[in-house]
Amino acid sequence: MFDEIVAVTENRPLTGGHFLLSVQSPRQAKAIRPGQFAMLRLPGRSDVLLRRPMSVYDVKPLSGRLRSKSVHPPQLIQFLYKIVGRGTRLMAELKPGDKLGVLAPLGHGFFVEEYLPQAEAAEEILHVAGGIGIAALLLPARELARHGLSQRLFFGSRTKADLVGLEEFKPLVKGVALATEDGSRGHQGFVTRPLADYLARRRDRKFLLMVCGPWAMLAATVALARQYGHACLVSMENRMGCGLGVCLGCCIQVEGTGHGKYQRVCTEGPVFWADRVIWENEGIPKT
Amino acid sequence: MKASSKATERRREGGKTSARPQPNFQPKIDVTIAGVHFQNPVMTASGTFGYGQEFSQVIDLNQLGGICVKGISAEPMEGNAPPRIYETEAGMLNAIGLQNVGARRFLEEKLPFLRTLRARCIVNVFGYTTEDYVRCIETLNKGEGIDAYELNISCPNTRCGGMVYGNDPKLTEEVVAASKRVARYPVIVKLSPNVTDITATARAAEAAGADALSLVNTFVGMAIDIETRTPRISNVTAGLSGPAIKPLAVRMVYQTYHAVKIPLIGIGGIATAEDALEFVLAGAQAVQVGTANFYAPDTSLRIVEGLRAFCQRKRVHLADLVGGLRIPGQTANSSSGIA
Repeated sequence: MFDEIVAVTENRPLTGGHFLLSVQSPRQAKAIRPGQFAMLRLPGRSDVLLRRPMSVYDVKPLSGRLRSKSVHPPQLIQFLYKIVGRGTRLMAELKPGDKLGVLAPLGHGFFVEEYLPQAEAAEEILHVAGGIGIAALLLPARELARHGLSQRLFFGSRTKADLVGLEEFKPLVKGVALATEDGSRGHQGFVTRPLADYLARRRDRKFLLMVCGPWAMLAATVALARQYGHACLVSMENRMGCGLGVCLGCCIQVEGTGHGKYQRVCTEGPVFWADRVIWENEGIPKT
Repeated sequence: MKASSKATERRREGGKTSARPQPNFQPKIDVTIAGVHFQNPVMTASGTFGYGQEFSQVIDLNQLGGICVKGISAEPMEGNAPPRIYETEAGMLNAIGLQNVGARRFLEEKLPFLRTLRARCIVNVFGYTTEDYVRCIETLNKGEGIDAYELNISCPNTRCGGMVYGNDPKLTEEVVAASKRVARYPVIVKLSPNVTDITATARAAEAAGADALSLVNTFVGMAIDIETRTPRISNVTAGLSGPAIKPLAVRMVYQTYHAVKIPLIGIGGIATAEDALEFVLAGAQAVQVGTANFYAPDTSLRIVEGLRAFCQRKRVHLADLVGGLRIPGQTANSSSGIA
């Protein structure tokens, strides 16, 4: 974990109020593992006091086209984000050369050694993304692709403009099912519909689900995984004060009692086995 | 004693221009509070720094004056339901509910690391009843390497908890006296700002034998999501901290400085050396950094450097600045005009 002030190299606007932010940070980029996150800070602003937690979307060598990844270690960290409030609105104003505070890598991510048995036992790994939740799934999908495992993506959002990151994901998976709430692309409605259909037609198969998105979408997806008996990993999000595990502001309720009743999304998470989380009591504020 | 030290400081400052320059002047910023020597006056506030170890990868903990660990209770506590935090203008609300590992596990798992540091280890103690505080301290007394206790009688986020003590001078006196009777280490009492007159609880704590006071804890606040009409924090009310509360906290240190003789540790929205110096001039011998640890873990270390640089520039030792506020038209150390 490194606390650094780094330079923005690009802050590319995408569709639907999304941005792809790249910062140059070799030490952090090298240390990041799939599913981990960073705490971002706009230096010198007391009106936006706290850092903002953000999934690491991707890590890249400096000049991706000219250099092969195997030869050159990653130097850039990329964040895929959507403007949802004050912090992200200010982030959208960042320009190449601007400074950004980055504390990373943080959290217990999709650590392959912990779920590889389930992944290898599964016929396919099903990634289920709700909106910007896609940002947490690209790196684990790439890692699993390197293991030669078969993967599929279920991606839901409000409109087709919110289906960002889809093109990067496509080469890693065998198939993609899309859903938009307004029906502008794919199934009209929630992503859990095509997922439910897929699972219902393959009751005898084993899958591993890897899920990231808003609470309601996570809860519905986890219910499907439970119904059909599939292993399920979720990447949770929450407001965070520190990202270091000391403020205890990001705790969610998990199986357990007493002192173990609440666990920190920033430290024990953000990735949890879904059956450990208490889904009945939503504790995550809506943005 | 205060008056003479302040007068000395004033004479020194007043005669500065005519005094010969002292190129080798090395300002002293170390401080001794309740018999405990701190290499510098900057500590991390309870609840914002975990048990220290969490920050060991990010900053050099040995450069800190002290570490006040997360509030410890006799038994482990699970804390409040989420959501627990919410950012406000230049501040934040929190209602964690003192989730902690309990005194026994603290001794086994957390203290051995803290003991290895040059930074002083202050253990924040919490309870619902006087017996809870006593029981917690009796357990902690078995630990080696604790430098002082900080009695949390001011947490606003637990039902019928610490703040009841902090709001009532009589209860304050009772819990401080009971804690002092059993405590093996010096007792610092952390005061609540959610009172009409903070000097009343300050005096009560002093009368009951407190070795020092730290002030202030968070202010009770609230925020509402107008779309859902629900509170932003599950506990409904929560403690406000951060730069937003600094002027309130400085005022309370100033008032308390003139009400008691025991040393004060200033807390409330401190993020820079300049902030810390305001507290020192108002009467604090040391300071604690809280919310700033969350977004800038190196804040305390920058403050230490800033204090040293300020003292160097002013050619004073930090102790000479304590309570050194000058109010035009008032004589030195006059306490008139204080509400």
